[in-house]
Amino acid sequence: MPQALKNSVDLARVTTDPSLKRKVYVVGMNESYVSGNMLKVQAELQNKTNSYQEFYYAFDWFDVDGMLVSSPTGGWRPSGIQARELKAITAVAPTPKTVDFRLKLKE
Amino acid sequence: MKLQKTILLFASIASALIFSGCASTGGGSYVNSQGPDTLVAGNQITITDFYIASDEMVNSMVSSGALDRAPKQPAIMAISRVINDTREQFDTDQLVKKIRVALNQTGKVMTTTTVGFGGNAEDKLAESAAAKEAYLSGKTYSPSSKVDFTLSGKIIQPPKVKVGSDRQNSYIFQLTLTQVGSGLAVWEDEKTITKQYKKSSIGW
Repeated sequence: MPQALKNSVDLARVTTDPSLKRKVYVVGMNESYVSGNMLKVQAELQNKTNSYQEFYYAFDWFDVDGMLVSSPTGGWRPSGIQARELKAITAVAPTPKTVDFRLKLKE
Repeated sequence: MKLQKTILLFASIASALIFSGCASTGGGSYVNSQGPDTLVAGNQITITDFYIASDEMVNSMVSSGALDRAPKQPAIMAISRVINDTREQFDTDQLVKKIRVALNQTGKVMTTTTVGFGGNAEDKLAESAAAKEAYLSGKTYSPSSKVDFTLSGKIIQPPKVKVGSDRQNSYIFQLTLTQVGSGLAVWEDEKTITKQYKKSSIGW
């Protein structure tokens, strides 16, 4: 039976505001490349509470020199997660030159 | 009589305060248009909706690998019809331009401005300059022959759902990338944005 091979990513790349941190947190992250050279990231979140939680998330992208890569479609995205639910959020880097990222979460 | 005058005076002051309050515009403040502080309006499409839709569409298109199957890199894309089929008036370039810029950044696609839907080039000057150059060099001017893909689509707004004072409003974004040579839709996607809000208790 085929199983997905996850290329796990260090969770130190995640920043969460203290309020949301008590309710929703990142249980795992993995990355891959799509279209040959475009970095794709997936973060798996879990709602630890018994109620629906709204939150915002944003990905910051960085080039090999650590400079921020702007994206015309990036920015904060509204989202929500049901009680006790596991939910994946994904994003694709804006350019092939992007080598690193940061995930920001806030309530 | 004196009591009536006093009541009238208070009523005038109260109404003046209410209406001046309604008309107040305040000082205003700047917010990040891609940030979480933009206003959310459940009953109408907003700039955030276009950011969400364009971001998801670009991610989907790049992840699909459809752009990698073009005969050349970067592939040339022309913008076909993207229809606003909602009950609201807005420019679909709020979606299309973001997608164009994002695809251009990937280095996999470039958009032509001399080929447009119905023969209407976006940049008439570039079109006439290219036509003139082709004429002077003795070549046939055929900009559409260079196009690998066309992007077309529609934005739909289903009827609003009403349950008590609760309202639900959706926008369906549909996009198709067609390979010009084969006429096949090599990538298609549909993203729906749904918002809920309460009906205002004030009836006007």
